[in-house]
Amino acid sequence: MSVVLILVVAAPLLGAAMLLLPGIADRAARLVGVGASAATLIGAVVLACGFDRGRGMQFETDVSWAPSLGLRFHLGIDGISLPLLLLSALLTLLVAVHSLWNIPPGGDSRAFVALFLLLETGTLGTFAALDLILFFLFFEVVLVPMYFLINRWGSPGERGPASYKFILYTLLGSAVMLLGFLLIQAETGTFDMVELADRHGAGMSHGVQVLAFLAIGLGLAVKVPMWPLHTWLPDAHTAAPTAGSVLLAGVLLKMGTYGLIRIAVPMLPEGAETFAPYLAAFGVVGIVYGSLVCLALLRDPDGDLKRIIAYSSVGHMGFALLGIATLTPQGINGALFVNIGHGLITGLLFFLAGAVKDRHDTALLGRLGGGMYGRTPRLGALVAFGAVAGLGLPGLAGFWGELLAMYGAYEPAAGLSTAGYRTFLALAGLGTVLTAAYMLGLVRRLCMGPAGEAPTGRPEVDVTGREVVVWTPLVALTLLAGLWPATVLAITDPAVRALMGGS
Amino acid sequence: MNLYAPILVLGGIALAFGVVSLVMGALTGPKRYNRAKLEAYECGIEPTPQPIGGGRFPVKYYLTAMLFIVFDIEIVFLYPWAVYFDSLGMFGLVEMAMFVAAVFVAYAYLWRRGGLEWD
Amino acid sequence: MSMSTAATATLAVTKVDAPTIEYGKLSPILIIAGVAVVGVLIEAFLPRPARYRAQLTVALVGMIAAFGAVVWLARDLPDDHRGSVTAMGAVAVDGPSLFLQGTLLLIGIASVLLIGERRLEPAGGDAFAPQAAAAPGSQQEKDAAAAGWTQTEVYPLTMFSLVGMLLFPAANDLLMMFVALEILSLPLYLLCGLARRHRLLSQEAALKYFLLGAFSSAFFLFGVAMLYGYSGSVSLDKIGVASAGAMDNDALLLIGLAMVAVGLLFKVGAVPFHSWTPDVYQGAPTPITGFMAAATKVAAFGAMMRFFYVALPGMRWDWRPVMIGVAIVTMVAGAIIAITQTDVKRLLAYSSIAHAGFILTGMIAMSDAGVSSTMFYLVAYGFVTLGAFAVVTLVRDARGEATHLSHWAGLGRRSPLVAGVFALFLLAFAGIPLTSGFSGKFAVFQAAARGGAGSLVVVGVLCSAVAAFFYVRVIVLMFFSEPKVDGPTVVVPSVMTTAAIALGVAVTVVLGILPQPVLDLADKAALFVH
Repeated sequence: MSVVLILVVAAPLLGAAMLLLPGIADRAARLVGVGASAATLIGAVVLACGFDRGRGMQFETDVSWAPSLGLRFHLGIDGISLPLLLLSALLTLLVAVHSLWNIPPGGDSRAFVALFLLLETGTLGTFAALDLILFFLFFEVVLVPMYFLINRWGSPGERGPASYKFILYTLLGSAVMLLGFLLIQAETGTFDMVELADRHGAGMSHGVQVLAFLAIGLGLAVKVPMWPLHTWLPDAHTAAPTAGSVLLAGVLLKMGTYGLIRIAVPMLPEGAETFAPYLAAFGVVGIVYGSLVCLALLRDPDGDLKRIIAYSSVGHMGFALLGIATLTPQGINGALFVNIGHGLITGLLFFLAGAVKDRHDTALLGRLGGGMYGRTPRLGALVAFGAVAGLGLPGLAGFWGELLAMYGAYEPAAGLSTAGYRTFLALAGLGTVLTAAYMLGLVRRLCMGPAGEAPTGRPEVDVTGREVVVWTPLVALTLLAGLWPATVLAITDPAVRALMGGS
Repeated sequence: MNLYAPILVLGGIALAFGVVSLVMGALTGPKRYNRAKLEAYECGIEPTPQPIGGGRFPVKYYLTAMLFIVFDIEIVFLYPWAVYFDSLGMFGLVEMAMFVAAVFVAYAYLWRRGGLEWD
Repeated sequence: MSMSTAATATLAVTKVDAPTIEYGKLSPILIIAGVAVVGVLIEAFLPRPARYRAQLTVALVGMIAAFGAVVWLARDLPDDHRGSVTAMGAVAVDGPSLFLQGTLLLIGIASVLLIGERRLEPAGGDAFAPQAAAAPGSQQEKDAAAAGWTQTEVYPLTMFSLVGMLLFPAANDLLMMFVALEILSLPLYLLCGLARRHRLLSQEAALKYFLLGAFSSAFFLFGVAMLYGYSGSVSLDKIGVASAGAMDNDALLLIGLAMVAVGLLFKVGAVPFHSWTPDVYQGAPTPITGFMAAATKVAAFGAMMRFFYVALPGMRWDWRPVMIGVAIVTMVAGAIIAITQTDVKRLLAYSSIAHAGFILTGMIAMSDAGVSSTMFYLVAYGFVTLGAFAVVTLVRDARGEATHLSHWAGLGRRSPLVAGVFALFLLAFAGIPLTSGFSGKFAVFQAAARGGAGSLVVVGVLCSAVAAFFYVRVIVLMFFSEPKVDGPTVVVPSVMTTAAIALGVAVTVVLGILPQPVLDLADKAALFVH
């Protein structure tokens, strides 16, 4: 029984519940948002300080909930979930601080704050759940607030179809995933994730494992998102408000890869072995496809800055998929590192894109023009920083994950075709080159060139003090994780090896 | 299947009777139609509903008819009960008292709500 | 000589054994029947102004007493939870009977609270026609409305219907089942036609329900005759014995099975016997719709389970594929057609069709877990439905209840509490975790998966996802759309409707978060007496 972990998961929920009380003013609501998410982050840091790398699952709570249904309230964290827990808590706090001054029109700011707090509970719960049904429950809790955030506060004109697409894809995805869970339970008689991971698929025939992996993998692949199931993502990102985009990219997408690492691969090893090459292939297609689309969008005057970042996410998640599909500790560590790096970098990029959009009333490249270095040098520098981090420059957070994933692909797990994976490796390498091309092209389009007149005609402000507060942690952590990757790897590696059965 | 043979035969006879009567009537009877003859037969009174006036007809017929059926059914139960009264004993008495009471509740309701008054 | 012998033989009174009836074991049914009869007497002998209070009091006290009797009988069940049969084998007093009777009585109490509501109509009166016999739009009707008449026959009618419902899941022979079916249906046909507003729609609903209901009853009865022809008995136990080794000459059995199933499927509103549901739900007075949607389903599924589990377990390989097909079509059609609906009551009607499919999924599992999960689902579903229709009665404009969905736009701004409660019910319908809907769906799908009906689970889960989509759309409409200028208002009800809605909310939340006690109860009550 660990009270701290439960408090961490419940704190945002309590914050959201407080907002339901009548008589909370607009200002107070935003402060409640900051308070609740700050408390959550503090709790998460406490957990991290008390975390013992040598041991497996920690801070466990295991209470029987509805024995007839086999439901247990089982929470706990290990080295795989801890970094993601911290990342989610951090990003939500930053969003809350950002929302102190910046809530897009669309109605009640109380509802806005309450929704992203609810979303935080869902994501933290997903990362801490150790029971399949509890996992599913938290997974679902995330959907509805995100839907409302997009549908209500998104950019007018796009938000309706984008939010429908989002909820249709993800609802169907999680329904299929639930089917997979039920299948596992029907075969093994338990929903307990620790026990199932320890069994490594014992008690399930090859066919059942393949079927269950297909169902669960499909459900999670929508969330990752894996090409070709990614089409909801660019629309959702383009339409979502800044806070929504940051959480979507920084937190929600992680749930997909996390689920694959935590559930699909260890519990269904034979299924994983069957599908790993496909997973890798789709991942690599995602990498190349994402960067090609970005290149095309860059040349298109109607290309949307947020859309480009969204497609770059598809590419980054392709690396995570490739890493997982190697079924080696290196690859999976790489995937986790990609998650962290992507969360920090893409979170930063979406904040920047939001800032650009606020200043210019548009995120269309054709209307933005160039010359940001001249007009707003600090903002321009940050955009450039985010872009080079995104292309995986060594020394920044984006580098290690991609490197590890590709390293894993060079020598995949026994039973997987080495030749095939090396081909994937080569294609992924091509992808990194293309990524560099569009990221640098983006910097050229936005930042360089004659300063000229601001497109809106208004004088432009450079980075404000408030923005510094929100962005600094992201920049600092991107540097830290890039320069000292052991901070993350030392936590994840033992857990990954334990999960893979000490291989 | 021969358990059901009599039923089939009965059905056949009923069908044959209907067909034969209609066909015989059509073949042998005199054919002198007038308007009155073409109307549906209804006890020699003006057929209802009237073609004019919305086609509503007095609900009182039905009240009376239902009342009749209530007591008719009661009798249907009372006869066999009376025949077996001896062997049913106290049980029979209690059950029949309940049944009659239920019927009389319905009767009382009908009476109090004016169902027995023609106008 | 021989003639006279025959005549004597016919007339001779052979000794028969008097049947025995344990009245105590039938006490819940008898109490409600007594309440209904007292209700008729109240109508006959009490002056008009005194009737409303008297009817309401008698009905509520009677149902509470009957619920007490159910609890008392349940405590008397032996330790192995096997029940017994009474009334010469015609009525079973076992776990499923008592569980469902208790559920029905609680639903009945909440329904009567809704029926008794008299605060909502601006001109006074309840949801029922001041003079149902007057032609819609006639002078007579206007006079009756102007005079402020109210009728109180709805209470005995509801009680009579409840008698049938209590008997339906407990009936252990097919004739008793048919009688119960008719007792529950006939008052409902009438009640459907009594709406104060939209008289024509209401009468159309009543007529439609009556015609199709009578048609399905005929199917049921004909099926009973077939099964009697096959097994020589109407007792479910004896049919069960006879059908256990059915090999040859089972045309009668199969036809009988199919026809009885048609009658039962009609009552639960399963596709393809669902076409009455939307019209009737829309036209009937909303409190009656709530009662009918919740209680009829509970009773009819109880009867259906007993029929299939007791009378035809040996025939499962014949009926299961058909029922699986029906369940799949029901879930798919209900979920998909619901998307296109623009009227709240019709939307809820199609959602009830989809839910009939989910409940069938549990029943088809053909195991104790199937029975208990189905019963749990029925409890969860019954209270959510009742609550949802109760909320519908509150949203009104000048023409009565504003049921068109466009009128509900922005309701969350006008009345966050009512919209919030309705959103909770919608989420429960959708089966979102932490509501009773999720626990219920989870239980039936789990039972079905273990019972080897995997295809059903797949379709069920996918249909839930589709359904969730349109429920969420209604929530968005309520909370995130601009309210119409001339939109409806939310009328503040009396304590009775408030209590009914509160009960619905409480059950929805409690069964969502702490389902275990009720699941335990359902598990213990899952054994049919043979």
